[in-house]
Amino acid sequence: MSHVWQVQKFRIREMELSFTQGRWNYERWGGFDPISSANAKPPGVELWAIFDVPQDEIDSTWSNLTHALSGLFCSSINFMESSTAYSSPSWSFLSAPAKFEDLTYSSRLRYGALPREAVCTENLTPWLKLLPCRDKAGLASILDRPSIYGGYYHSQRLHITSAEFGSKAMTMEGTVLQQTLTLVLQPDVQISLNHSGGRLIHPSWSLGSLFGRRVTGPCVLAKSSNVLLELESYLVEELGKLGGEMLTLGNSDGGYESSVFNGVLKLSVVPDEQLKLVKNLDSRNNLQSFSILYKYSVEKYSKLEPLDVGISWKLPVFWRCLEAPFHASRFLMGSGNARGSIAITLRSVSEILQEVPLSNQPDCVMRVVIFQVVPWYIKVYFHTLQIYVDGEPKPVSDVIQKIHVSPSEDRVSPGLMELALAIPCNTESAALTIEFDKGFLHIDEYPPDANQGFDLPSALISFPDLQARYYHVGDETSNGSPLLSKFQENNPVQLYTEVLLVPLATPDFSMPYNVITLTCTVLALYFGSLLNVMRRRIGEEERFLNSKVKKHILNFCSI
Amino acid sequence: MAENMKQQQQEPDICSRTTLPGSKRLLLTLYVFFSFIIGAPFFLKSRAIYRAPLPFKSIESLDNHLSMNPLLFPCHFHTVFLGFGQENQNMGFAQELEFLMFQKMQHISGSDRVCGGCGDNYSVSVTVDYISGCFQSGALENEVSWPCGSLDLSELEQILASDAAFDEYIESFLQRNGGLLKYRGNAYRVVVVNREMENSYRTVIGKHRHAWIYGKISEGDAVSLAAQLFVNFFMNGGIGEGLFSKGKGEFMPIAADGSVVLSFSLLNANPNDWVFDWDFRKIDEIFLSPVVKALAPLANISVESQILYHTPKASYSYWDENLASYIFSTNDLPFFVNSNEWYLDTSVGAAGQSKILHFVVYVPSADECPLVLQLPDGTISSTNGFMSPTWGGIIVWNPTSCSTDSRSARLSRHTFSSQDLVQVMEVFMGQLRLLFGLKSYTSYDVDIQNIVASEKGFAEWELDVLVRHHAAYNLFSSATTLQSLSKLVQSLPSMIVMDEIGKQVKLSLEAANLAENNASLGMYDAAEVSSREARVWAEAAFFHPSIMSILYFPFEHHVAIYSPFFVPVAMHVFIAAFKETMRYRREREKYWAWKNQAPAL
Repeated sequence: MSHVWQVQKFRIREMELSFTQGRWNYERWGGFDPISSANAKPPGVELWAIFDVPQDEIDSTWSNLTHALSGLFCSSINFMESSTAYSSPSWSFLSAPAKFEDLTYSSRLRYGALPREAVCTENLTPWLKLLPCRDKAGLASILDRPSIYGGYYHSQRLHITSAEFGSKAMTMEGTVLQQTLTLVLQPDVQISLNHSGGRLIHPSWSLGSLFGRRVTGPCVLAKSSNVLLELESYLVEELGKLGGEMLTLGNSDGGYESSVFNGVLKLSVVPDEQLKLVKNLDSRNNLQSFSILYKYSVEKYSKLEPLDVGISWKLPVFWRCLEAPFHASRFLMGSGNARGSIAITLRSVSEILQEVPLSNQPDCVMRVVIFQVVPWYIKVYFHTLQIYVDGEPKPVSDVIQKIHVSPSEDRVSPGLMELALAIPCNTESAALTIEFDKGFLHIDEYPPDANQGFDLPSALISFPDLQARYYHVGDETSNGSPLLSKFQENNPVQLYTEVLLVPLATPDFSMPYNVITLTCTVLALYFGSLLNVMRRRIGEEERFLNSKVKKHILNFCSI
Repeated sequence: MAENMKQQQQEPDICSRTTLPGSKRLLLTLYVFFSFIIGAPFFLKSRAIYRAPLPFKSIESLDNHLSMNPLLFPCHFHTVFLGFGQENQNMGFAQELEFLMFQKMQHISGSDRVCGGCGDNYSVSVTVDYISGCFQSGALENEVSWPCGSLDLSELEQILASDAAFDEYIESFLQRNGGLLKYRGNAYRVVVVNREMENSYRTVIGKHRHAWIYGKISEGDAVSLAAQLFVNFFMNGGIGEGLFSKGKGEFMPIAADGSVVLSFSLLNANPNDWVFDWDFRKIDEIFLSPVVKALAPLANISVESQILYHTPKASYSYWDENLASYIFSTNDLPFFVNSNEWYLDTSVGAAGQSKILHFVVYVPSADECPLVLQLPDGTISSTNGFMSPTWGGIIVWNPTSCSTDSRSARLSRHTFSSQDLVQVMEVFMGQLRLLFGLKSYTSYDVDIQNIVASEKGFAEWELDVLVRHHAAYNLFSSATTLQSLSKLVQSLPSMIVMDEIGKQVKLSLEAANLAENNASLGMYDAAEVSSREARVWAEAAFFHPSIMSILYFPFEHHVAIYSPFFVPVAMHVFIAAFKETMRYRREREKYWAWKNQAPAL
């Protein structure tokens, strides 16, 4: 509720806040489907917002917003308040153009990320508070904290769009709040049974075994409440090969058979509806590869008859996931505490690339947009940007279509790099390196655990030519789920790279006192000896010494 | 021979000397020594932390002054006698009434000087109005004028039938004839109308700043009744003396910056049974905006609303067969609010300094419906609600029919009807009045027939009382805050005092003086505004972020930084100066000894 006030107070046109723990594994969990391109987020906290306030008030509004959100979500979002922590990307970040009519939105956009923020249940509770039934009823009631946080990946996302301050292009009314929780969970694997030839078989699972709770009916305030289960297209293909008989829609007795893929896998609950989804419109007619979506309507279930969706495998099946056309990774090169370089590599996944339209033509190019923010103490030399395509160095001007760089300013603003590359579609690999110097920090600028190193936020790599969306096969009206309609929107494929850990030269923190003590001692010595030298009487002392010797011999002084 | 000569020459160098010892080295070491000594204070001064000069004396005097003489506002009480006997048509009669009135009021109010009250700083005037002419007696005659003889008695007869109409009539009559001053703190009036009635009289308090008594009443009774009205209501706001004696404003739920957030929440304990909704925009327009406007001189009020679901109460209730309802008793009230499940968040929850008053409508679930509050004497509460001081109020609102037809997952949605809303908002208004420290209309003990209700929830004379007390409390609080600040600053010599703090303290003192001036002039609203300002500045100075960080600048830090240099250097300097001085004296002794010996040689 309080968020509506925030939207009005800060005049937010659009805002997204995500808390993520773990990194989305694009190679195993897919990178070309709507879930991964829209819901996979960089580790830690990411916040961006578009404000509808005058240009000179945006920064102060941003700082107020970060403070308000950090109070609401019990996190350190307020660290994004300082101008060294946020940036304003001009075109690369929101790669969904034409979302707003006026093109000035980019100057009203602020982006910040905290890669090291630990995410836990104290962030989830305020997020759940925004749901009308919280976790008291409905789907959210299965969110058992230990099983959520025991998984591989979890990401909670909050997306607010406000038409109040937006343009007329948007069809939505009022303020729209989207909350998404993305989890990758680890089913309990009985290792002895499921290891066959060293490979891990997909274990059987059900909601009950994953969460320890089952869905006991919807939240009464929800308009629709569904559980969707997707069988990816490669899995469907494999299942077809294994001879499992796929039962088609609309059986004679009006329902679906309980064992949908006879002999290979068994669904524990009969779905209410079965949808076929394809990746592109061309293949809509020849159903060569499609994925199947089973829909369970939660309204039909209650406390007495809970919903426990699950799959049990009868035969081991192996399949690939739907990967993005390129695997991206980012790493550091060089050694020492003085300088280094950042490298971003793209490795093509050839099978996928064939599915991309026009990839067979010789002059086909793939556009790749890279968005990278570096903190000011990583002083990037943009002239050292080098690009390798298939191992060959290429002149920058050949590959780069568009570049926008805003160099960092010490203790004022971070460096921002926005690149649009155009590489040939048949590229095997592409790499991009850029050198940097490590800056020196003041002693009070180090965090408490300075020896751990500094995190470089994830870079965002997007492919504006590729859209991760699903198309329905057959009856288009049958969907009623907002998630499904979200799948059918245009989502450009995007990947977040790893967070990098940069070790900086860490001083000995007792150093100031040591330095003070040492210099003071040296100065005191100098001063003291100078004073001594000035008041010494060398002649007199010599005479005194002489006389002392004489005194020994002729002792008649005291007369 | 030559050897002997040499020996002779050297001998005095050790044991005696023929010349005055040279003072070059002595002067040098002494120069270093003294510059070291003299330089030390300068050095310490240069290392000293910055402390803006604070006006400790003025703070002290303000605090003393306010604790000795609490802030009092001048009040003026005016009684108008209409239609009293023709036989007493002289000035002496009016003067006698005034004297009687003054005596009576002093007797009732006593001599205690309530902070924020009128104290003994009031004046009384009496007008005896005949249609043909009138006599006025008392102070401020020209300021508080009563247009004599212009009131038409025959017209009055008809209007007196309705209290509200008469209230408005007098108000408009005074406005027309210039009998009202522009600012609050205007005269309070009691109009006594003598007319033939069945040997009884009626006392009514209006919603502006006047009351009236009409009927058959003697002058003496009228005087004592009017004095009671003045002291108990217009002066003290109709609240008993005990409640009202000290620091009334302290309990007013107003934040230091004068802001209050009224947060209205509708809690559906279990939405599976039923879901209630309200049209809050309508509530805000009809009920709340007049109140917010009326309280504007006192506080800056903002209103928010929310609807929450799955919010069970924390206490238990039991079924009572006789009442056919679930009972929760007054003993359970402390446990009623379920702070785990009631997410009564507001937009300012994180901001901290503002004051939030929660008003909660609790719709019980079907398992505990109807839910009623049983008072200690066994009866059922008529409002079915309760309030918690400085927190807010709660109403349990039972749906008209408690049976749910079927336990299906279907949602049964209802909306509050306008009658229901009126009922709920009436209780909330009463709770709001109580939270501000005023009594509800029904519970006055003086013999009052009627009090004209204001649609704003607060009558003007009640607001006057609140403003007076809050202004006095603000001033008192700012003085104590400044006093604590000055004590803190004086007790911690290693604390940096920023210029900004000095500026804030100065502004606070200025505002406090202004508030006192305004109060003595009787400008209640202006006094309230400047007293609030004084408090805001005082709080800002006391809670200035720079104060907190400086408290941890320890003495050890100085020792650690300066001793490695200064201790060895000082040792060298002192030893050098000491040795040189000693040597010089010794050598001089030798010279004198030689000189005294020389003539003998």
